[in-house]
Amino acid sequence: MENHYTIPKNLKLVSVALIIVGAIIITYAFITQPSRAWANLLLNNYYFLSLAIGASFFFAIQYITQSGWSSMFKRVPEAMMAYIPYAGIIMLMLYFGMHDLYHWTHPEVVDSDVLIQHKTPYLNTPFFLIRLVFVFIVWTIMTQLLKRASQAEDKNGGLKYFERSEFLSKVYIFLLAITFSFATFDWIMSIDVHWFSTIFSLKNFVAAFYHGAVVITLIVILLNEKGYFPQLNKSHLLDFSRYIFILAIIWGYFTFSQFMIIWYGNIPEETEYYAHRWENGFEFIFYSNFTINWFIPFVLLLSQAINKNIKALKAICILLLVGQYLDLYEQIFPGVMHYAVFGIVEIGFFLGFAGLFTFITTKALASSPLIPMNHPYLEESIHHHVH
Amino acid sequence: MNNQHVIGVFNEEDELLSAIHRVKEAGIKIAEIYTPYPVHEAIEAIGKKSRFTIAAFLFGFAGAIGILAFLQYTAVYDWPINYGGKPTNAFPSFIVVTIVLTILTITLASLFTFSVRAKVYPGKEYFMPDTRSTDDKFVIIFNMDQNATESSLLIQMLRESGASEIFEKQFQPLT
Repeated sequence: MENHYTIPKNLKLVSVALIIVGAIIITYAFITQPSRAWANLLLNNYYFLSLAIGASFFFAIQYITQSGWSSMFKRVPEAMMAYIPYAGIIMLMLYFGMHDLYHWTHPEVVDSDVLIQHKTPYLNTPFFLIRLVFVFIVWTIMTQLLKRASQAEDKNGGLKYFERSEFLSKVYIFLLAITFSFATFDWIMSIDVHWFSTIFSLKNFVAAFYHGAVVITLIVILLNEKGYFPQLNKSHLLDFSRYIFILAIIWGYFTFSQFMIIWYGNIPEETEYYAHRWENGFEFIFYSNFTINWFIPFVLLLSQAINKNIKALKAICILLLVGQYLDLYEQIFPGVMHYAVFGIVEIGFFLGFAGLFTFITTKALASSPLIPMNHPYLEESIHHHVH
Repeated sequence: MNNQHVIGVFNEEDELLSAIHRVKEAGIKIAEIYTPYPVHEAIEAIGKKSRFTIAAFLFGFAGAIGILAFLQYTAVYDWPINYGGKPTNAFPSFIVVTIVLTILTITLASLFTFSVRAKVYPGKEYFMPDTRSTDDKFVIIFNMDQNATESSLLIQMLRESGASEIFEKQFQPLT
């Protein structure tokens, strides 16, 4: 197999078809049920953005830890990062939907509510948009710089680019910690404007890293099935599984920490958040969220045999794609919709965005050699062997 | 039973691995390997398979169920107390206790299992074929049931792999 990914014609057609079908359903939803449509837009755009952010963090952390095993696959997170600027453009459209999503944009509500007035210096429309533009500029610039360093390494070679990437990665994760906190506080936590949680951004960041790693694994497995990455061996699979396993534990830890402290403290303005998630059909989401994102991967990935089984790992990855959707649904929908809804609108939105993400990712993947050529750890990655 | 043993001492892991590779190709059985830190190839080479992880999982599983049952019994059936109107079956607050005690259960139960299986107990007389075998050296031991030509071949192989010392010693066969 040559070292260049070519997008299969069918996949291109399918992704374009998904975008078109999605666009039709999205237009229909905006005409008939605007607030449901805005909630879906936020959910799906954030969903794929979180995968891209998770992938970029994965990419950066491999440089910082100087990991050898993953260097063969680094084009996959690199391709996923390409979605970030597009997500920024779609996120900017929220300006028109803020009224439907965020209570604090209603002046008459703010006037009669002391608690929201207290938050106004931070939560106001101009500052919200400034932060939104700022975080996307930071992410786009940093991921572009990382990508350029990686592609210059392909052309010229030498240790210089590795060191440059490592330095950029360190700067990037520092900036990401701050900007991602802004992002989750603004876009998701401010939907339930009275409620706040200090662990919220951390929890969402772990979820992004977790599901980003899952999608990287899934893409690698799918490419391997098509005959790319012939060097993929059991040791690589084991390391991917370990990433998913440990992140499942951390995800469960943070999610449970947030829940248990609020449940135990039992302070009305905090408990209200979870009380609302235990009624109107949201209970099912609450329990299946824990089951799918923590319990199932934790129990299954304890076994080495499953860790190294490519089919089982693929099934777990696909299940976890549902998991991230459930997690975000639980965070976004109760605040906007007040009762659980799932229908053609949700499916259409997801398909549309999935098509867009596939289109952008495959295009980015095809634009450079699939296996990096002059990475200093490439040999180590190809001959990776662990027990 | 022959009590004669050949002992090879290595300075580097790579040399040990190369020696393991050579003697395995020649079909010579390795009696025991001592390393300063765990070397997976060495464990594989002796042909020992461990079911320790399965035991640890079962301890954890039983421990978690048992601890949850204990908490349920004490807090709900035996001595229900009203803490600020909370339900007596305060399941989320049981979780942290369960996690911590499960770890303790696994640790202690694994320690006992290991001691029983390896026949290690306090006050047991220790046996060491070479005093540096728990220090910085990699030590490989062969039981000399083989004939003379094979034993000289073995010594040759160890030397070629880079052993810093090779000597023969008489002691009770290792179990």
